[in-house]
Amino acid sequence: MTKGVLLYCFDTPQVSYSKITDRCISLIERNLGLPVTVVTDADTKLRIKSNCDTRVVDIEKGNTKFSKPWYNLERHLAFDHSPYDRTVVMDVDYFCYSDKILRLLESENDFLVHKNAHDVMHREVMRYDREAMLDLVWATVLIFNKTPRTRAIFDTVKLVKENYVHYCNLYRITYKNFRNDYAFAIALNQINGHKEYDVIPDSIATVPADAEILELDDNRAVIRCNDKTISLQDQDLHFLNKDVAYV
Amino acid sequence: MNIDQLKEISKQSYDASLQKANALKKAESDQILVYKNHIFRADAETICFVRTVSEGKDSFFMLDSNSNPVEIKEPVEFLKLLLQRNQSALNTYHQLYQNIKNRKA
Repeated sequence: MTKGVLLYCFDTPQVSYSKITDRCISLIERNLGLPVTVVTDADTKLRIKSNCDTRVVDIEKGNTKFSKPWYNLERHLAFDHSPYDRTVVMDVDYFCYSDKILRLLESENDFLVHKNAHDVMHREVMRYDREAMLDLVWATVLIFNKTPRTRAIFDTVKLVKENYVHYCNLYRITYKNFRNDYAFAIALNQINGHKEYDVIPDSIATVPADAEILELDDNRAVIRCNDKTISLQDQDLHFLNKDVAYV
Repeated sequence: MNIDQLKEISKQSYDASLQKANALKKAESDQILVYKNHIFRADAETICFVRTVSEGKDSFFMLDSNSNPVEIKEPVEFLKLLLQRNQSALNTYHQLYQNIKNRKA
């Protein structure tokens, strides 16, 4: 069975995702040792320096986050984009400082996702249970096999994406811009008969958007937020501050 | 002590508490163990359960972290892996905790 990581990377006028991708790939090579395929556009491909497999696509634009372009509309195609039997789809700003993902790949679960994330400043700001009528999942990391069931999950995400306003109303989702986290939460909820599904048992350590990133090494990150400086070592981190591209 | 000294102690305690909370979250992630294709947490509860139910038995049943049933056919091997993963995670947590304490002192 082939295993590998699939990344989506599209530079925007504001953020150099290609730089973040290069750092993400170097950590995958160091800590996971898995092959990487990057789905990207023709312009961004020229700026990716890592030695990796690339797949160039025409991207769908139009979505925004905080009034800035947000190119996040391709992930439902991961089933077709992935050349691997067992795939890890990962945000490029998720940095693998540990081998956790490698361990999870050994499980038999055909689809895995995190249901919990926490702010590394521990400010209790990452609860979304009052923002929708269903539990949020974090599409930051997806692990899946190519099976009829996972095909159904991705097809449902596509359906949700195409009818997002309807699903926002149905599940009373307050955040109206398309968000993969909700699209996958809805798809998993529906494909699993509105019952529980298997998840990754820990929580994603999230560096908040208002944290200043002071240092990034091969095994640790030093950040400052509200006059507090903390060092995080040998632990996977999800960076919400896209300045991570320029550290 | 004056108010500034008291505030400084409070600030140091907050910083230590934050570092400890992050180190504990890391330990929880480090305790994830996949055995025979199932996900487990190598925590004290799992270890105690496995040790108890495996006494004098060649195999037993338990639930993985998603409540899926698993038959454990090699309890000794499983317990050894759980202990290794648990102690590796807690050893790292212990080192981080000592660093936090030393910085506070």
